[in-house]
Amino acid sequence: MNPAVQVRRAAYDAIVIGAGVNSLAAAATLAKAGRTVLVLERRAAVGGAGSALEIEPGFHADAAYDDIGWIPSSLVRDLDLTRHVRIVSSAMPVVAADGNDASLTFTASGPDLDGLRRLSPRDASRWPEFAGRVAAIAGFLRTLYAAPVPDTALDQAGDLRTALRLALKYRGLGRRDMVEVLRVLPMSVAEWLDDWFEHPLLKGALAARGVTHSAFGPRAAGTAFVFLHHQVAARPGAMRSGLRVEGGIGAFAAGLARAAQAAGAEVRTGAEVRRITAARGAVDGVELASGERIAAARVVSGASPRHTFLELCDPARLEPGFVHAVSRIRYRGAFARVHFSLDGLPPLGGDRASGALVAPDMDYLERAADDAKYGRASERPFVRAFVPTVADPSRAPEGKHVLSAHVQYAPYRLREGRWDDAGREALGDRVMDTLERYLPGLKALVRRREVLTPVDLEREFGLPEGHAYHGELALDQAMFMRPVPACSHYRSPVRGLYVCGPGAHPGGGTAGVAGANAARTVLADGAP
Amino acid sequence: MTPRYDAIVIGGGHNGLINAAYLARAGRKVLVLERRELVGGAAVSEQVFPGFTFSVFSYVVSLLRPEIIRELNLPAHGLHVLPLESTVTPMLNGDYLAGWADHDLSRQELYRHSPQDADAYDEYGRLMHHMAYAVRPILSMLPPDPTSLSPRDLMGMLKFGKHMRSLGDEKFHALHKLMTMSSADFLDEWFEFDTLKATKSASGIIGTFLGPRSPGTAYVLLHHYMGELDGVFRAWGFAKGGTGGVSESIASSARAFGAEIRCNAPVARVITKGGRAVGVALENGDEFHANVIVSGLDPRRSFLQLLDPKELPADFADAIRRYKFRGSSGKVNLALSELPRFTCLEGNAPARAMLRQAAWRGAFSISPSLDYVERAFDDAKYGQFSRQPYMDIIIPSMIDPGMAPPGKHVMSIFVQYAPYNQQGGWTDANREAFGDAVVNTLSQFAPNLKSAILHRQVITPADIERITGLTEGNIFQGELALHQLFFFRPAPAWARYTTPIRGYWQCGSGTHPGGGIMGASGRLAALEILEHG
Repeated sequence: MNPAVQVRRAAYDAIVIGAGVNSLAAAATLAKAGRTVLVLERRAAVGGAGSALEIEPGFHADAAYDDIGWIPSSLVRDLDLTRHVRIVSSAMPVVAADGNDASLTFTASGPDLDGLRRLSPRDASRWPEFAGRVAAIAGFLRTLYAAPVPDTALDQAGDLRTALRLALKYRGLGRRDMVEVLRVLPMSVAEWLDDWFEHPLLKGALAARGVTHSAFGPRAAGTAFVFLHHQVAARPGAMRSGLRVEGGIGAFAAGLARAAQAAGAEVRTGAEVRRITAARGAVDGVELASGERIAAARVVSGASPRHTFLELCDPARLEPGFVHAVSRIRYRGAFARVHFSLDGLPPLGGDRASGALVAPDMDYLERAADDAKYGRASERPFVRAFVPTVADPSRAPEGKHVLSAHVQYAPYRLREGRWDDAGREALGDRVMDTLERYLPGLKALVRRREVLTPVDLEREFGLPEGHAYHGELALDQAMFMRPVPACSHYRSPVRGLYVCGPGAHPGGGTAGVAGANAARTVLADGAP
Repeated sequence: MTPRYDAIVIGGGHNGLINAAYLARAGRKVLVLERRELVGGAAVSEQVFPGFTFSVFSYVVSLLRPEIIRELNLPAHGLHVLPLESTVTPMLNGDYLAGWADHDLSRQELYRHSPQDADAYDEYGRLMHHMAYAVRPILSMLPPDPTSLSPRDLMGMLKFGKHMRSLGDEKFHALHKLMTMSSADFLDEWFEFDTLKATKSASGIIGTFLGPRSPGTAYVLLHHYMGELDGVFRAWGFAKGGTGGVSESIASSARAFGAEIRCNAPVARVITKGGRAVGVALENGDEFHANVIVSGLDPRRSFLQLLDPKELPADFADAIRRYKFRGSSGKVNLALSELPRFTCLEGNAPARAMLRQAAWRGAFSISPSLDYVERAFDDAKYGQFSRQPYMDIIIPSMIDPGMAPPGKHVMSIFVQYAPYNQQGGWTDANREAFGDAVVNTLSQFAPNLKSAILHRQVITPADIERITGLTEGNIFQGELALHQLFFFRPAPAWARYTTPIRGYWQCGSGTHPGGGIMGASGRLAALEILEHG
């Protein structure tokens, strides 16, 4: 008997690379279906970019994100997640200020309408209709995101079914919203908002959602799509804020890992995959950095498409056209995180406010993005500050607080200077100065700060070029184009190898959707 | 008793004239009413300074549909297109990049700058060729209404879907990328040489309020790739006598088919009766009646000015109100005492002299780098004309000597960006400052320019609007953005040249497929009128 055949006998039905949120959702889904699953995580803890970070002993921040975006209730149900995590829809207000007198409070469902009426009665009267349009389009996206995108060739039964479901959903929108879906998605968020509103503060705050995790400014076409992506599953009449988890983002990943383990999956941390092994054009397992080889019939990678195909696989063995397509994926990470430990509650300016937004108008955002175009960090950055300790005082010692800032734009590629200690400190200073301008008195409260540049985010969490979604979310890199057309169904050209990270449809900002969709594709493909 | 017509066409621009010609050709009694003293709209030639004739606004011909040239027999009516053979881009380091109508010559020149790009150039050319062929049928397709369940629309959607599927996966994905990417990102996938990318992407920004790094510009790149001249793809040309020559030939053809064209006849409003268009009233009060009224004007003028918007369904009126114009280009026309000497082409070697001669007969593109063009756009975003603008320049007198007195020349400079909403408004001072920015920037590349200028005409978007009537000075009667194309142009459900007012039709560039001296809108509208009017 050929010894190689023995090695190929798989120890696991599937190996999942990485223990980020999507990988864990994939592992849990597979394990629930009775597959033997092994999760391999390079870091010492699960969570990937969805991990906590200790600024100093006793001060716990969320490293890269403040919320988990959207998780479909069906996924919560399927994975029995309520037993392991407590998801809270964030009701904590965030205050947007223009640095002068005007401010506008945003709750989970949108702007405070009384406050908006004081700024602009016209905008306040238009808000309900706008929110209705948003919900209609976002509801359509929800259907689109719930399954692999139908292939344009429609040559598989599943594709046809999904396509029909989409067509019905589309018809169900009614004439006006059918038009709106097609019209709005390719627009710039700035143009779209200009059609509706007049007050700069409202437009700035809304446009900020259209450029979040993008290198583009609000005048770039397709940012309306990004805005709506971040509103997927919004309910009629209300905007949707990112969902939060009790205990922070790290608690969510830990809960997902427990759910996966409860279903029978094995999770190994401190286990870095060095390469994906293949024989006769099909994967047969992985090799760890330690040299250990583990056999599996399927490998599901939560790593970025670049890392998966160009580093873990041998690109020389892949079809050149595919390699070319993968190497052309745009990442262009442009955000950074700055965490502060504080001696007291910062002056957020609203009752029970837990965050502040520095995006006073659309030109402000556009100018911030202009800097990034030429390879500079924004001189006046867009900052979204979140103070998790308002809702959860246990994340800092008594009376103390934590403030985490999402900062744009900090382009991964700098034309001058580097993201070294000096670059990191300069960014930290700039963010602190910016926040001080909008939250006077903050500076005096700061104890320590921790800066994560795009390069840090890449090194620490494997975010390619620091992009949170493992690939820029733009119309040409969405849906059947994501990550590349040849594996937009999660299946890669290498038999038995699948992608399940945010680099795949529907992308980041949705917790575990890509992972669960990928797992369903694996299951649909049956036994190897 | 005023004479009775079968159809009245408002506006004697090229689409209006083409529309009238097709209607007349089918035996209809047609009247064209033009506000100005000459036909052509934005495609006019005028003797702006004694002895110097300019294509005042639009200046090159390439998109004019070959079936129109054929069916209206335009060559017999004086259409004569002379080819533009080259584009030279002066670089900041004193070198230049030349592109030629001949693919192999361009490749050779490119090889000098980047062997890798020269290799990619072949494949890129092939792809764009395929893409242009893929899009071409869409240009002559009637946009279906995607929200309608009528058999006609469903058939239309089916036809559209079938066409898309017939492209095959690879081309469909490439088309999707072209429709959604920025020209800079799209070109980054192919090329490394900055000046090449800048020059190519510049064709993607013409007439838009977008920069090369704005998503959506890759499509316009293709739009301009579709120029067809005598069946040769991609060739650009210059009409003998200027672009007014194109309009004159169409007008002549229309007259030969029996159409009547009246100039100095500004239409004030469309007369409606019981929700139906029955005629038009001129500013002087004269009225003309017909069962078919066709507007070649842009959507805002057609619906919000010639009609009382109250007569329109509210959602339609809203759609027209939010239809984007945002004119972004200007024009500087110069009368010159001598040819401009571009530093990058100077030199005594015979090869240089030949190149110089050839270049003068072609176009010059002031687009030395992507950053240069993008920065030009940055100015405009915040309401300021570009201090260092992108320019597309031709010297028509080198191709048609009749445009200038012997030994003298005319130079046509298309300039971006000049935002319609210039800070402080388009005052005379701002217009002159804009003209100075153009001349000063160009002088950096051709130092003798300033002293060679005999006369200068500066045209801002506000001037374009005032003279031609194009709203906000948008040369395409509305931006060519994805959400304003095909079944959205100019408004959903009204993209097939009909309007909510029975008997009232539209045929300008503000309808599918729009933009450029293409004429497809005028022709398709006429065919629809003949079939359903």
